[in-house]
This record gives sequence, C-alpha cells and structure tokens, in this order.
Amino acid sequence: MKGTVYLNDKTGIVVIGATGREASQVIKESESLYPGIVKAGITPGKGGSTELPVPVFDTLKEAVSDPKVGKLLNTALIYVPPVSVLDAVMECLDNGIKVLYIITEHVPIRDSEIIYQEKVRRGAIIVGGTSLGCFVPSVGRIGAIGGKDPSVAFRDGGIVVISKSGGLTVTTAEMFRRRGWGTYMALAIGGDIISNNTYADVLKEIKGDPRVKGVVMLGEPGGSYEEQVADLILSGGFDKPVAAFISGRFQERMPEGVAFGHAGAIVERGMGKATDKIARLEAAGKRYPVKVAFYYHDLVKTIESLGVPRDFEDSTTEHVKPLYSTF
Amino acid sequence: MKLYEHEALGAIFKKYKIPVPRYVFSAEMNDAVRQFVEKEPGVVIKSMVLVGKRGKAGAVKVVSDKSQVEKVFSDLATRDVYGEKSIGALVEEKLDIEKEFYLSVTYSTKDRAPAIIFSEHGGMDVEEIDPKLIHTYVVSDVRSIYPYQIRQFLVGIGFSDKELLRPLSEVIVNVYNAFWGSESRLLEINPLVVARSGDKRKIVAADAVVILDDDASVNPAVVYGARSAQGRPLTQREQDAILIDQGDHRGKAGSYVELEGDIAMMTFGGGGSTVTAETAIEAGLRIANLTDIGGNPPAEKMYRISRIILSKPGLKGVLVCGGTASNTRIDVTLGEGLAKALDDMNAEGKLDKNLVWVVRRSGPEYVKGLKMLHECFVRNGIRGEIYDSQLPITEAPIRLKELMIKHIGYKPEQVV
Repeated sequence: MKGTVYLNDKTGIVVIGATGREASQVIKESESLYPGIVKAGITPGKGGSTELPVPVFDTLKEAVSDPKVGKLLNTALIYVPPVSVLDAVMECLDNGIKVLYIITEHVPIRDSEIIYQEKVRRGAIIVGGTSLGCFVPSVGRIGAIGGKDPSVAFRDGGIVVISKSGGLTVTTAEMFRRRGWGTYMALAIGGDIISNNTYADVLKEIKGDPRVKGVVMLGEPGGSYEEQVADLILSGGFDKPVAAFISGRFQERMPEGVAFGHAGAIVERGMGKATDKIARLEAAGKRYPVKVAFYYHDLVKTIESLGVPRDFEDSTTEHVKPLYSTF
Repeated sequence: MKLYEHEALGAIFKKYKIPVPRYVFSAEMNDAVRQFVEKEPGVVIKSMVLVGKRGKAGAVKVVSDKSQVEKVFSDLATRDVYGEKSIGALVEEKLDIEKEFYLSVTYSTKDRAPAIIFSEHGGMDVEEIDPKLIHTYVVSDVRSIYPYQIRQFLVGIGFSDKELLRPLSEVIVNVYNAFWGSESRLLEINPLVVARSGDKRKIVAADAVVILDDDASVNPAVVYGARSAQGRPLTQREQDAILIDQGDHRGKAGSYVELEGDIAMMTFGGGGSTVTAETAIEAGLRIANLTDIGGNPPAEKMYRISRIILSKPGLKGVLVCGGTASNTRIDVTLGEGLAKALDDMNAEGKLDKNLVWVVRRSGPEYVKGLKMLHECFVRNGIRGEIYDSQLPITEAPIRLKELMIKHIGYKPEQVV
C-alpha cells in the first residue's frame, strides 16, 4: 500500500452532502488535481443529478450497491450541517465505510461523544470534526486542504504535519517546503473537545512507516491531547523526531474562560494550559528526540536541530521583501 | 456559555429533578424577596455574577438577623465581584448543613468521555482538595446510565455514609442526565450538601455552575442572550460583531473580543489567529482585540468586521494576518471587503492615516487580492507593507513592531 491508513492508493472517496457550496467546489478541485479519487456523492433528493463530475445518489446504501462505484468506496468526506453530522456518520458506519473525515465545524459536543463511542465499538477511523482533510502528495488529497493550487504548500517529502488547525496545517507545510522539507502526510485533526483522532492516534498509526522522517505537531491549549503525545513517547510508543509548537501561552494572561480559536481551546479550572503541555513535551525530550519551538516560525530550526534531513534545497533568501510598500 | 446560578436552577436543575434550596432571584429588593425572607428563619444571599470563587470575595453571606436583609441584599445585588457587576442577588433558604460533597460532570479528554467527578470533601475550591480524595467515574457508554453503576462506584471508592448510597446515586444520575440533556460542557455542584431537615437528612445542591456547549443543537445565546465569557458586559463593538454572523452561515467574521491595547488584529483562522496573537504579545505589542475570521466569508461580512475593528479608539497599528487559506478568497475578503471599508471610512473622515499597517496573507486569488488592497492603500494614503507567504506568518507581527518603532516611535512592552 502506498500512503497511510488515512489516505492511500486504494482510497475511494464518497462525499456526504456533496452538492453543497463547499463540497461541490472540493469535488471539482479534487477531480482536476487527482482525477478519480472522488467516486460518488450523496445528497438526499439530488440522486441522479449530473451537476458534479461524479455520480450523485440519494442514499449511501444506493451508492455502495452501485455496480460501477460501490466496491470502490471506502472513505467518506462529511460536509453536512452540524446537527446532521451524527446522522451522516451513522449512515457511513452502517454502510461499511471505515475511514471518515468530518469537515463540518461546530458539531455539538454531545453528538461528537456519541460518534466517538460508536467509532470505538466499530473499529473505524474518524478524523474531525473540524478537520480540513488530509494530504499525501505522493498519493492524493482528501478535502479542501491546500486549496486550488496545493503545490504552493505541498511537495513530496518526509515530514508529517499534524495540526488541530486546518489553516496552520497548510501554512506549516508551506513554511517547510520553502526551507527544503517536503510533506509525507499533512493531517488536520480538528480542534474539537472530543477528538476522534488525536495526535497520539496518528503517531501510533505511522510509527512503523519508513517514509516518516520527522513529525511537526501544532498544539493548542485545552484538553490533554498534547500531553498524551508526551505519555506515548515516554512509554516508548514513538521514537522518531517530533518538533512541537504549542500556541496559547498568551491566553494564560487573560481571564479564565475566554474562548478563542477552536472549541477545544479553552482552559478551565487550571487544566489544559499551554505551559503545562510544553513542560510535559520538554520532559519527554530529555530522553527522546522531541523539542518544543518557542516561536511558531522556529519550528524549522527545531526540525533541523533534530537532524531531520532536507528533501530538497532551501529556496528562501536572507531577507524577505514586501510585495508592496507604501512608506 | 456560562449560566447564572438562578438560570441553572430554574431552567435545568428543576427539569432534571436535582434538589435545590428554596430560592428567589431578584435584581432589586421587592415584595417577592420580602415575602420569601419572612417565611425563612435564615437566608443565604449571593451576588449573581458569572465569575467563580464568590465566597472568597465576600459575595455570599448568611443572614439570620432579618433587619439586616435589606442592607445585605442591596449591597450584594449591585456590587462588583472581581470586576464583574452583579446583575442581582439570589436569596436561598439557610440549610442546616451536615456535610459537603463535591460533584461535577464534564468531558474528559483523557478518556474522551463524560466524567463524573466526586469527592466527599467538598465546600472548598476543587483545586484545594487533595487529588487523592477526588474520584472519577467515566461514562464509557453514554447510551445508558443507572444508579446501581454509581453505587458500585461509590462503594468502590470507600464512600463512608452507607445510608446515603441510594439517594446520592439517584441524585448523581439526575445530575448526569442534566449535563447530558442540557448539552452542557460542565455542570458543577460545590457543595452538594447533606442537610438536616427535622429528623431526616436530604441531599441538596447548594451551588450550580453550568457551562453550556456553545455549539449545542439549540444555541444557548439565543435562549439566554449573548454574553461575554470575560465576566464583563459585551462592549458595543463586540455586540455589533456578533450580529455579523447571525442568520448568515457563509463564513465567520463575528468572533471579536476587545482587550486594552493599541494594535488592531485582523487575523484569520483559529490556529493562525492564535499563533499571530501569541507572537504579537511575545514581541511586546499591546493587542487591542482578538478576531478569528474564516470559512470564506462574503465581502459584506469582511466590510462590517473591518469597520468594527478599525473603530476602536486609541489604535496605532494594524496587523492583517493569516496563513495560506485553502478556501477563503483573498480578493473577496481583502480586495473587496476590507478595501471598501477603508474607502468608506476615508470618505467619512474616519480613517486614521497615522496607523502603521502590515498585511501578510496567502490563499485563493491572493495575487489579485493583495494588489487590490495595495491600490486601496495608495488611493487612501495608508502606510504599510504587504506580504504574501514568503514571510513566515509569525514574522509579520515582528515586522509590524519594527515598522512602528521606526515610523511612529512605538514603545513595545518589555516581555519577560
């Protein structure tokens, strides 16, 4: 298999909520970048529609029974409104789809919890909610990650980028691409309180993959998913270089409860502080190749200092000039 | 969104049969309060604020001398508690307390499940309880929960008061059901008291902290009214910002929190906004606000949030900063929305030309969008630099600092 469990050369995508504004744009873009990766779309009431470059069905059951595309569907990309996400997930699980991406933001926490427990019972892989998708340059793309021209940010290489923030997944891949490191996989895991696929879950999946040369992990305050990485590494569960940046130290100088950024990025009753997460990862760094960058842009130096080899030449110049200046 | 105690009691505790003291809430002294007090031998009066640790601030008082009630009530109903103004006072029956427990339900990211947290040693701040005396029951199957499971848990942790096993297990299940049914992210009762009532004992929730999921299937801001999480009323600009996203789901531009500072932050994306704000603060910039714009908002939304951001008094610099967007159109957001706001503000004489700007943005149609914004800067006499993604995102605030020092003699904070 070429790629990862999240996205590989066998991946066949069915988009749930396919004819919506964002989803239809993503399907069209995907079709031009990686033709054939999206196999079908589902929108109740739009079955048989020809508005998309892929066949549209009313129900997933019809799609998986379709003689042409049915057998090829193994990955769902969910683009339905927040209150319909639970329903869409159950439709996917009940129809045998085992890898799901929830792109929708603002899924009610209670629904996320039900989804997580079902995922565990059924042994599925679910990324999100609030995922932007996954990019494996050597194989393909799931979701909008990287936009219309992903080559700006993504070039094949050995770095795995894992981020709660979709935007920063791309921004980080681009920062590294400019400095000589390509991406093996970029995965936007989403910033919800109940994450179906945490940093540690990803590290466990990729730990034996020889193509992984180093991991860049972008963390946030709130919850304990970053700490779980430190625990995994300390227990010997992952030993490749990890460069981390944990945002949100500034939040600690603000009144408790200030909600900013992702739903999960909230510090309550002293739990989930960025400084605690940083300390835990730095403690793991005493025995394992783990380092935390002070500034976000220091991540490049961090990966370099961990000895992760460049995939190609550094293309940046000493001093970046503005495109425009009005001084 | 956090609820006031009286809202939690009235809307949630009652519905899920969580026993509470007799109470009355009022913004001011009135006949209802007087009649309530008349019937009670003693009362507890609490300031109604969202901030915690009220007791330590002297905002919870036991009053047994009825001649003092009016005075205490007027004080507690109007005072500031840690800078937050009271919206009224809650008057409750004074309970004959035998013991105090701690009980809460929240989501544990360690278990990725709801967790019921219980201690026999309540009444103090949870941070002050010896962690060895705090016990957690993880609800690993949310499809059903029964009191017997809670009794097994209580027996397992060596709960000392066997007589309370049944009633306590039933209250805890009701509290869990309240948490689940109301779509809370935290429901905390501290203390959950055992009170004497004649020769009987009863379990009563003597406090109620409820934080609802902002993404709940029924939006709590619609039910209870929008409120600031900062323990202060929303500013006019914050209220105006909330309206931007109401009834229009195309993108998000209305997330706007004001701080005391002089750098306007027009930042994009949850993660991008956070790292940019973080770096700005680390670099010594005093930021005037936080924003988190994303999801490809239409030009109209960008126009409105731009005007709100730029109307805050006392600004010296503006940072427009985002990563490489995947679907947010840069021509629409910056080239149309922001540019039109600047054109209009200038035409109305409301644009401060002394502001120093740094723009750093990439994404769909960024070449066009940044060029349009540059043209707007030129025709309106705005001073700034515009970058694409060649400049790492978090170097943008550092560049703004350099420019402000050079051009307007800005004195950054000394950050340790």
